[in-house]
Amino acid sequence: MGILQFDNYIQLCILLFFIGSIIALGLNKKARLCNYVSNGISIIATALLAFASIMQIMGGKDVIKLSLLKSTLPFIRLEMTIDGLSAIFLLILSLLTICVSTYSIGYISSYYGKRNVGLFYFLYMSFILSMIFVFTSSNAVFFYIVWEGMALLSYFLVIYESERSENRQAGTLYIVMTHIGTAFLLIGIMISYSYTNSFDLFGSSDAIPAGAKNVIFIMYLLGFGTKAGAIPLHIWLPYAHPAAPSNVSALMSGIMIKTAVYGLIRFVMGFLGLQEAWWGILIIIIGIVSAVLGVAYAMMETDIKRILAYSSVENMGIILLGLGVSFTALAYGNLLVGQLALIASILHTLNHALFKGGLFLGAGSVHYATGTKDIEKLGGLIKKMPISALLVLCFSLAVSSIVPFNGFIGEWLTMQSIFASVAHGKHGINILLILGVAALGLAGALAAACFVRFFGISFLGIERSEHALKAEEVPRSMNIAMGILALICLSIGIFPLVAIKLIDRASYGLLGSSILDQIQGGFLVSWYSMEFTSNRISSFEILAVLVVIILLSLLALRVLGGKYIERRYGTWDCGFEALNSRMQYTATGFSKPIRIIFRILFRPSRKRSTKGGTAYYPETIEYTVDSESVFEKYIYKPVFVRARIWSRRTKFTVQTGNIHNYLTYIFITVIVLMAYNSFI
Amino acid sequence: MSSLFDILSVMILLSSFVLMANKRIKSYIKTFRIQSLLIAIVAGILGIQLIINEGRVDVLIVCIIIVLLKVIYIPNLLRRTYLGVEHRVEKDFIWNIPILVLICCGLVVFIYFSITAIEGISEDISTIQLVNSVSVVLIGLFFMISRKKAIGLIIGFLELENGIFVTAMFATDGMPFIVDLGIFIDMLTAVMIMGVMVFRISDKFDTINIDELNKLKG
Repeated sequence: MGILQFDNYIQLCILLFFIGSIIALGLNKKARLCNYVSNGISIIATALLAFASIMQIMGGKDVIKLSLLKSTLPFIRLEMTIDGLSAIFLLILSLLTICVSTYSIGYISSYYGKRNVGLFYFLYMSFILSMIFVFTSSNAVFFYIVWEGMALLSYFLVIYESERSENRQAGTLYIVMTHIGTAFLLIGIMISYSYTNSFDLFGSSDAIPAGAKNVIFIMYLLGFGTKAGAIPLHIWLPYAHPAAPSNVSALMSGIMIKTAVYGLIRFVMGFLGLQEAWWGILIIIIGIVSAVLGVAYAMMETDIKRILAYSSVENMGIILLGLGVSFTALAYGNLLVGQLALIASILHTLNHALFKGGLFLGAGSVHYATGTKDIEKLGGLIKKMPISALLVLCFSLAVSSIVPFNGFIGEWLTMQSIFASVAHGKHGINILLILGVAALGLAGALAAACFVRFFGISFLGIERSEHALKAEEVPRSMNIAMGILALICLSIGIFPLVAIKLIDRASYGLLGSSILDQIQGGFLVSWYSMEFTSNRISSFEILAVLVVIILLSLLALRVLGGKYIERRYGTWDCGFEALNSRMQYTATGFSKPIRIIFRILFRPSRKRSTKGGTAYYPETIEYTVDSESVFEKYIYKPVFVRARIWSRRTKFTVQTGNIHNYLTYIFITVIVLMAYNSFI
Repeated sequence: MSSLFDILSVMILLSSFVLMANKRIKSYIKTFRIQSLLIAIVAGILGIQLIINEGRVDVLIVCIIIVLLKVIYIPNLLRRTYLGVEHRVEKDFIWNIPILVLICCGLVVFIYFSITAIEGISEDISTIQLVNSVSVVLIGLFFMISRKKAIGLIIGFLELENGIFVTAMFATDGMPFIVDLGIFIDMLTAVMIMGVMVFRISDKFDTINIDELNKLKG
């Protein structure tokens, strides 16, 4: 019986990752072998993990408790508890990791002989292991340790290509921001410990007074918000994601920033309990701002991975919006809406992990094939790498929430939960919630525009540079990995109730109820529509109608139009036959209307300079557009400048290098402490 | 017997005032030798008392070690160091000597108030002994601050250590032997290293002025 229990699978998975990371270090001289062995181990381990977590979700309502290390030292106990919430996040992690590991077999092959592959896999596998621990740890000390470990390991992965100075700078920015976040987290944990005298995450928080709970909530929000990349704490994200190797940025964007969602649910909803409605409202506001501004900034970028990074900010905004609605509804005691919003939020977390992971892998493929990440230098890749292009198109549709894909389901459910909570809500909040619906719509539309630009500029048209000309299809394993992800995206889109049922069961442990009956439709038979408060949708039906319409119109054309002659020549050529790549839209040009409309946000500045020739016939014209980032300029830069000036000043007054000054500090400290002891 | 210890502790405190008022390095070493001798006497009396009452010999051994180490060996070592460098008289203080001595008086008063405010000090320990010995600690630290030459810092450090030792002895009737032994070895190492360092500083910079170390910072 022992071997069949799920906790053994999880222990085995942890053991495999641990051994695998050490083997990877040992094999660093044999890059090819190391590549295959490491990815093989991580695929097997995560497959076990996926199986165990599905079984845990489906199997029952009791939790698995594991203990890795018991020591006599106070508080140092590495204990793991896997309930439904942990299991669903473990499932997301393992689904993505299986694909990313498959992808890495091809992607890392370009590193042979150039970089230390063994070190890479050591960091990669330890990083995944640390995330498993984050999702399962059951006491706050252990959580804090693995959270910090996760941050450090991902930092080393970000600066893995450390010979380029911008990568090192991105890494430094990342580590500074994440440490600031972790500091807030630590403050929150310590305050709650000071009242409860326990670090147990599953314990009771009754001993904490209401005022302190508010403070703790703010600390957790700042701490997890930094990791989530919520605006205005997002600034590390667009630097760190492009710097990391693509398979790592897929993991970072796909799952690492989701640890913040897990943390918010576990610490705030699970541990603190939702006592005040304004907690949720604050999260809603942050979510709205992140969703709209994130995608708006994505529109302005020309680096593929920076576009994707800003799009992650947007999607985290949508997830936070759902979470905020859930928190507010639960604080008002509206269990149904609260759970619907929670499910929507977790579902979008799952979806975003899948399609954003896929998009980052796609960006990796483009970089692998062309050697550049600048979309102004790409173009025409659909002819060179058709399979990758098709898969990236699938993910782009998913992220723009177009119907047969999963992105739509998450956003639809979030919207439904907002509508439902408008029906039950109070006046002030209703205005905010309606604003939330509008913001969600705007973000969706902008995301669609952004990904039209992303896909159109980089994959369609004519090659804009040598980089794009020499592109070839990437190794098969990379396309297989992306194909699996696309397939999962599509199947969740068509059969959403499978995913919703899983998440519903997973959230049972937290809320103690199930809303599956409220959503009509059944398991695997999703041509039944999803229905909630008389709003219904069936993506299967929509897909069927779409297919029928397209087939019918093609048929009609064929029948009505009669026989036609097929000719093949360059699109828009019109017999001119001298089209070149400079006649196409540039990425900057494409986003110009948006830039003009949202001028107040981007504050664009443009510069045109001509050179040579006469005034009317210059030889070269240079046109550059800059949009300044408001948050960096008006929030971070002043703080940074102040801190730098202050620390420079104090460096010479406090740290003089004079031994007498140092002795005086000790002396004064002793005197003050004695005075404190005796007179206060 | 308690009054004898009271007198001795006052004398130890007095010796640290004398030390503060000195400006010749030769007399620093002499004063330190006297202070250590007083501590050895305290340890000796306490040791004999403990042999008679409880049969413990360790405090007497500590007394012998103090005589060997602090009364004979370390002062001689410092004397040799002092002969090796050209510097004889301390000239520049942060404040002049009367002000320094007045500050030390203020310190003792402050510590009196501070120590008497502590609740739970057991009745059988005379508060005055504790006040005096803690004062020696802080005056030692203050001595280190007020002197600019390296040798002054070493003396200040040793005085501080004496103060801690006396405090421990008064408060606990002799610490565990192993702890005392550890402290002695630490101190011996520190003094030897610092003695060597003074030579090196003197060689390198032609002075033993500690301010020269400011240049070392990054």
